[in-house]
Amino acid sequence: MSAREQREPAPLGPIIEFLRVLRTRLDGGDGLAASFGGAAMALPRDARESLDTAVRRLGGRYTEDDWGFDEEFAEAVLPFLEFMYDRWWRVHSEGVGRVPAHGRVLLVANHAGIMPWDATMMGVAVMREHPLPRPPRFLVLDWAFELPYVSVLMRKVGGVPASPFNAMRLLEQDELVAVFPEGVKGAGKSFRDRYRVQRFGRGGFVEIALRTGAPIVPVAVVGSEEIHPKIAESRLLARLTGAPYFPITPTFPLLGPLGVVPLPSRWRIEFCEPLDLSSFGPEAAADRAAVLEISDMVRGVIQRKVYENLVKRRRAFG
Amino acid sequence: MPGRRILITGIASYLGTELARILEADPDVDLVVGLDTREPRARLDRTERIDADIRDPEIARLIPPTGVDTIVHNQIVRRPGPGMSTRRAHDVNVIGSLELLAACERTTTLRTIVVRGSAGIYGAEPAAPQFVTEEMTQLYPLRTRFQRDVAEIENLFGTFARRHPAVACTMLRYQHSIGPTVNTELTQYLSLPVVPTYFGFDPRIQVIHERDALDALVAAVRNPVRGAVNVAGPGTIGLTRMVRLAGRPSLPIPSPLFGNASAIGQRLGLVDFSPDFSRLLRYGRAVDITRLREEVGFYPRHTSGGAVDDYVASRQAAAAA
Repeated sequence: MSAREQREPAPLGPIIEFLRVLRTRLDGGDGLAASFGGAAMALPRDARESLDTAVRRLGGRYTEDDWGFDEEFAEAVLPFLEFMYDRWWRVHSEGVGRVPAHGRVLLVANHAGIMPWDATMMGVAVMREHPLPRPPRFLVLDWAFELPYVSVLMRKVGGVPASPFNAMRLLEQDELVAVFPEGVKGAGKSFRDRYRVQRFGRGGFVEIALRTGAPIVPVAVVGSEEIHPKIAESRLLARLTGAPYFPITPTFPLLGPLGVVPLPSRWRIEFCEPLDLSSFGPEAAADRAAVLEISDMVRGVIQRKVYENLVKRRRAFG
Repeated sequence: MPGRRILITGIASYLGTELARILEADPDVDLVVGLDTREPRARLDRTERIDADIRDPEIARLIPPTGVDTIVHNQIVRRPGPGMSTRRAHDVNVIGSLELLAACERTTTLRTIVVRGSAGIYGAEPAAPQFVTEEMTQLYPLRTRFQRDVAEIENLFGTFARRHPAVACTMLRYQHSIGPTVNTELTQYLSLPVVPTYFGFDPRIQVIHERDALDALVAAVRNPVRGAVNVAGPGTIGLTRMVRLAGRPSLPIPSPLFGNASAIGQRLGLVDFSPDFSRLLRYGRAVDITRLREEVGFYPRHTSGGAVDDYVASRQAAAAA
């Protein structure tokens, strides 16, 4: 199912040529590094460049920003995410142009699925269809940062632990930030409740938007609910693994690791009109009633757009 | 106006000696006193030394006659060195601070205390804010002995500062320092022939260059502020990148086995990781340095990445020579 199958079979010719040249140069008494360098000339340009990149990264010569976001890594995984976007889920996105091109912006979306596929697909939508693309940062459930590899992967593509301090700081640095205020309640709801947008916590995202003066862009995601249809959950396994909940889907844990492969539902993502809250001023963040009201309003917009897109999508699969 | 009279505890450490050297050269400083049982690392011209252990109640009699107005508390054991039990480290940290404060009570000339503490107080937590600020010590439980020690020290000095409003007490929370000269848990780690890491973890690490660590201490002595201040190089560096820059092969160990593996390594005398450092290798930690820049007025010259670069370059130069 991976992107690899879509490509042609790997051309072995250049690799054999590479090894042949490498051996003759080593036999000739060159140093290992020099031999590699000489042998690399036998490779086609693409392979040479990716070999250079790999060697450079192994020497530690790459950059990560203060948050651990690794732009080069994110670019390297983009083709795979684009494959998921185009072929796997056939995502149709609307209104990407409504996302302001500059300055701080808070994307607020409904959440489903065990892994943050919805966040990454929103990211691909912005990166591909926005006239001035920029990689969104997204807040990820804390638990992911206790897991090997998942934690590294998340932070390298722009994820940070879900903490209001992180969201505030990112917005103050004028980043595009995606949050999922439903949190675990959204990701862990059962298949029966799909597309019923859950309570938006205590409206913390509104406080953050008010404090930083960032506009809120509500985003409705349709399709993410079918990728891991949760039919039951196991308290025991959740406790054993330390996970916030342990989902049981038709394929997981029945098929083992294969059960993690998301189902190929059809997706729609709609970015709604931005909500400018700057007229309220940062003091409004302390006003409980205003915060909850705005939070409810945003939730209402997302719920309405989710239903609209469900109708437009017609069938979940096929 | 008379110049300042400054006492430094733990003067035999790199920072202690270097700080004394800088203060000696300062015309505004009348007197520098060092408290330590060990000799300073280098010859100091006009620093007087009190040869006493910080845990010795006698210091309450020795310090007041010096008439110091500033005390720099630089004797906090970050990690028990060879031949030092964790028990003794705890003793130096907590009992030492208590005895020092008893001496402070009697030193009526005292106006400033600067404590060289540790950002270890925050621990290393997977879901902690990516840049912790000074008031975030209560977010998580104190998990290790060292964390509890630092918290207790800060608490002791905080209480003292509340009871003596005339004394400004700065608690500096240092990240690990790195550089050509210092010998810290981090530099020892990066000098291992094979560097153990947690399988599948690549935490964000923050360090401060040894020179910046020293200059931050000088800045805090010259411009004391009240309360805690984080001290670190701006930005962060991934552990993997740091190990690769240091040119060391890494040995990823799955987290359930890491504790056992490091215990075996310790028994064989290969490695000696404190529980704090092990957690740091898994989850990392970074602090916000707005207070250091805006209130103390100190800008570190090296970013975290730059400090590691300088360390690696100096080590390569030493290897080539």
